[in-house]
Amino acid sequence: MNAPAPDRRAVLEARRVCRSFGPVEVLHEVDLALVAGEVHALIGENGAGKSTLMKILSGYLEPTRGELLLDGKPVSFSSSAEAEDAGIVLIHQEFNLAEQLTVEENIFLGRETRRGVFLDRKAMKAEAARLLAELETRVGPDARVSGISVSDKQMVEIAKALSRNARVLVMDEPTAVLTNREAAVLFRQIERLKAKGTAILYTSHKLDEVARIADRITVFRDGTRVAHAPAGEMDEDRMAQAMVGRELSNLFPQKAPPATGEPVLSVKGFSVGSVVADASFELRRGEILGFAGLVGAGRTELMEGLIGIRESRGTVEVAGRAVSIRSVRDARRAGIAYLTEDRKGRGLLTAKGMRENLTLLALDRFARLAIDTRAEEEALTRAIEEFDVRAPTRQVRVGNLSGGNQQKLLLAKTMLAEPDIVIIDEPTRGIDIGTKQQIYGFIHRLAASGRSVIVVSSEMAEIIGLSHRVVVMRAGRVAGVLEGGDINEDTIVRHAMGLEGREAA
Amino acid sequence: MTTDTARTPARAGLRIDFHVWGPVVALLALIALGAWLNPNFLSYGNVTNVLARSAFIGIIAVGMTFVITSGGLDLSVGSMAAFIAGVMILVMNALAPSMGVGWGVILVGMVVALAVGLAAGLVNGLLVTQARIEAFIVTLGTMGIFRSLITWLADGGTLSLGSAVREVYRPVYYSGLFGIAWPIVVFAAVVVLGEIVMRKTPFGRHCAAIGSNEQVARYSAVNVERVRLATYVLLGVLVGIATIMYVPRLGSASSSTGVLWELEAIAAVIIGGTVLKGGFGRVWGTAVGVLILSLIGNILNLADLVSPYLNGAIQGVIIILAVVLQRQKKAER
Amino acid sequence: MRLKALAGALAVGIALAGPATAQDGDAAVIGVSIPAATHGWAGGLNFHAQQTIRELEERYDNLDFVLSTASDPGQQVSDIEDMMATRNIDALVVLPFESEPLTGPVQRVKEAGKWVTVVDRGLSQENIEDLYVAGDNTAFGRVAGEFFRERMQGGGKIVVLRGIPTTIDNERVEAFQAAIEGSGIEILGMEHGNWNRDDAFEVMQDFLSRHAEIDAVWAADDDMAVGALEAINQAGRQDQMWVLGGAGMKEMVKRLMDGDTVVPANVTYPPAMISTAIELTALNYVSRAPVSGRFIIGSVLITPENAESFYFPDSPF
Repeated sequence: MNAPAPDRRAVLEARRVCRSFGPVEVLHEVDLALVAGEVHALIGENGAGKSTLMKILSGYLEPTRGELLLDGKPVSFSSSAEAEDAGIVLIHQEFNLAEQLTVEENIFLGRETRRGVFLDRKAMKAEAARLLAELETRVGPDARVSGISVSDKQMVEIAKALSRNARVLVMDEPTAVLTNREAAVLFRQIERLKAKGTAILYTSHKLDEVARIADRITVFRDGTRVAHAPAGEMDEDRMAQAMVGRELSNLFPQKAPPATGEPVLSVKGFSVGSVVADASFELRRGEILGFAGLVGAGRTELMEGLIGIRESRGTVEVAGRAVSIRSVRDARRAGIAYLTEDRKGRGLLTAKGMRENLTLLALDRFARLAIDTRAEEEALTRAIEEFDVRAPTRQVRVGNLSGGNQQKLLLAKTMLAEPDIVIIDEPTRGIDIGTKQQIYGFIHRLAASGRSVIVVSSEMAEIIGLSHRVVVMRAGRVAGVLEGGDINEDTIVRHAMGLEGREAA
Repeated sequence: MTTDTARTPARAGLRIDFHVWGPVVALLALIALGAWLNPNFLSYGNVTNVLARSAFIGIIAVGMTFVITSGGLDLSVGSMAAFIAGVMILVMNALAPSMGVGWGVILVGMVVALAVGLAAGLVNGLLVTQARIEAFIVTLGTMGIFRSLITWLADGGTLSLGSAVREVYRPVYYSGLFGIAWPIVVFAAVVVLGEIVMRKTPFGRHCAAIGSNEQVARYSAVNVERVRLATYVLLGVLVGIATIMYVPRLGSASSSTGVLWELEAIAAVIIGGTVLKGGFGRVWGTAVGVLILSLIGNILNLADLVSPYLNGAIQGVIIILAVVLQRQKKAER
Repeated sequence: MRLKALAGALAVGIALAGPATAQDGDAAVIGVSIPAATHGWAGGLNFHAQQTIRELEERYDNLDFVLSTASDPGQQVSDIEDMMATRNIDALVVLPFESEPLTGPVQRVKEAGKWVTVVDRGLSQENIEDLYVAGDNTAFGRVAGEFFRERMQGGGKIVVLRGIPTTIDNERVEAFQAAIEGSGIEILGMEHGNWNRDDAFEVMQDFLSRHAEIDAVWAADDDMAVGALEAINQAGRQDQMWVLGGAGMKEMVKRLMDGDTVVPANVTYPPAMISTAIELTALNYVSRAPVSGRFIIGSVLITPENAESFYFPDSPF
């Protein structure tokens, strides 16, 4: 399995590549060959070394040892610009877009078309429009990036890469923020690029996706290549097993019997701005309540309205008493905590350490006049243990943690506030399967301990696997509340698409 | 970005972390230079002079550290100081005949200075947090307003404190505690308290969180507007305190009082290692920054190193060097 | 004294003119453009300009004034352009912020057929203005130097506080140096106190740290003298040296009158020269005796004997 790839058609190849950060080696003599017209999937848990290898291939990092071959000849890139000149483009998981510029300006950033000394706006606009149309997105070239949705930003990233006529396209979890429809468009694009002879390196935590589009699969674990096979020879179970290094039994814990406790949260006629209208639902003690719906159905907005981040109208009762929540502080006082879907933008201070992040929400618990740093350190020790946060050092900047560990830290931070009601928005976005399992287990234990949990998720399996009841939202309204046997993919989709009501009528 | 990732643990222990110690190294270098150039440099008199004259900007810069750490900026502090000094002098002059010359009048003057400072900070803070106008624009506006107000109050000239009151008030600048001049005592106290507040209290932590990422702070139950407002009010009060120490020095205020203090304060904060974009601040660094700035002027006066026309250039070079020293670390990441 | 002769002529002129001779029809508009009150002397300038304008407007119905103050040369150019464009001035009294940048704009005013009076700072091109009223910076430095020379027979050690680096400052310092040449007076150091109390205070503190023996200080401006005196007091060395300021600030003149030994004299550079300029310009429209030419207001030594006549308690300066 570790024999050097004999494939002579390899466009870009990594041979015995190692990479160290300071004294720590994170990549140990890995091999990888990308072939023209093939999709090569690279999978592994967070922190397995996928991102590091992708950065080496695309010129963002240099290998400590080992070599890169381009068309069979050794190369070294001293910058990503050099790699791009050689036709190798990386699409970042975190968008690399200038928020205040327009879509067109972003696509051509750094390599603007000129006529004389002036920008040739007309040509660039036309080309941008063509690329966007090819990707079947609705955004126009003139839209400002700060104003478009997350999935549209992803499309702009892809358009940007396409405009560079990439020979090798490295995609870091491109579908993490896309809806199924958008993902389907992306897959069509990938097929088209394949046909044109582009070599594609693709990472994703969604194994079904990998099984569907990959021609060849490489699995990393702890910085080493542990498996390598043509796609046909590896099913999803084997992929998961290779990644985790052990047999993965059930991803979801055994469902506890539906909660019958008294309602702890009761929401009636709740509206948020012009996005959510007249939503009503109840949450019981010990219950996991799923919120399903299409992207843009208003789920996140509803939750942000509940915790006072957004202006809202309507009645909210916590444990039978009407409360008025105008800020996150009010929400905290009412025992409600919210984990945002946007870990880096809204959840954690990426430039700060774990301690400062952990205690930020519940800082009053650690301070009368002065902050008790020792108590904070103890809390961090407990959190690291309880939530299994894996960090290279305790002083690490949170931005340098892997997505899974960030999510665990965010969970720990939220739980320090000792909420009775926990709202988790996209609990496992961009997280590997091993960590997913841990987080599901945690959510389960939370409910079992008598707290109540709302899970907002776009992953159908998650909603179905976790929830006692499911609220389906559509266009800012509650389209239905499902229980028991109704919690299945078909019913949820019918409600989310607005087909259920029509059939009943 | 460097390609050299060879492991050299032996060297790591000896290397000075310039990000932390850069300003201190610069300060020590300046002190060594001064002592070498002029034997009087380390004399009691000169050290007192330098520390006491640093006090005004230093006290203001401590407040500025909080404002900048939470992602704000205040350009109005220099004119605010002039305005407060003017009001203080007018009030004391007006009250002296009826209250009699004594500490009573001066205490009223001090209370007025603090109150005007608080009010001025409140105006800045409310415009920034409630009217949601960029701090740069708000404080640029109030900078002009305060400057005009003092010019108008002084009729374009100079407001002078009555000489009788002045004689009583004078010791607040010129005498001190155990031989340490009062401005130095107050400056030191403000720095120590400021450092504790920044490092040890929820307020300091919240300032850093807001400057780091306002959204995260908001989602973490931090009352962003109130903390922001508090930084401006705190700064205003500290400007009041600085003015209380300033007025007894020359007993006057004019439209040229406090000119460019805002830039010196901001420069001191940045030299000290606080990030201009916000998110990280350290008060002790600010104090070091202030001392660096006043030592440069002092050394240039004590030795004829260059043409006085070039003083500004020397100052500029040292400011940039002090900051380059700290930033070196970053390049390695 | 030329100044006195001038004042006399002025008085006669105004008396002859009187309200009765006011011309019929539209009032004459006189634009006055001066630097903003950013330091003491400029504050005095503003005070005297406003006072004179008020007096003249009260006395003559057919005179209208437009006063603008600028804090930099660019703003002053804009002010003058605005006066021409929107206020339709008949005459301009200007104290140029700097000579070079104001020369062109003032020349255009002249070319438009307006009366131009230039005050204190000359334009860089000759013969533009109809009337030039100025203080004498060379005399200012020379009178101070001569005072030092006379008082320090046999030499001594002095320090000098200079103003904001400008031509004015250079002229004064050069004349001062020329006047003390060969007298045995040694200049220990010269630093810029920028005509500012705080800066002068700090510079003087450092001079005192650096030099154990200083016999006298030339502060060249009374704002700086105030700062320097305070530093000397702090060091407790007021018995070892004396300070010569300049420009006749009222507080300093008062100390002089009171016989303060640290402040033995002063040198005039009256901000009231703006009044002279405005009044002479106004004569064009209220009398039949237009006054043109050059009027240099000399710098005079103020001593305790003649201080009374230079004391203006109402002026802010």
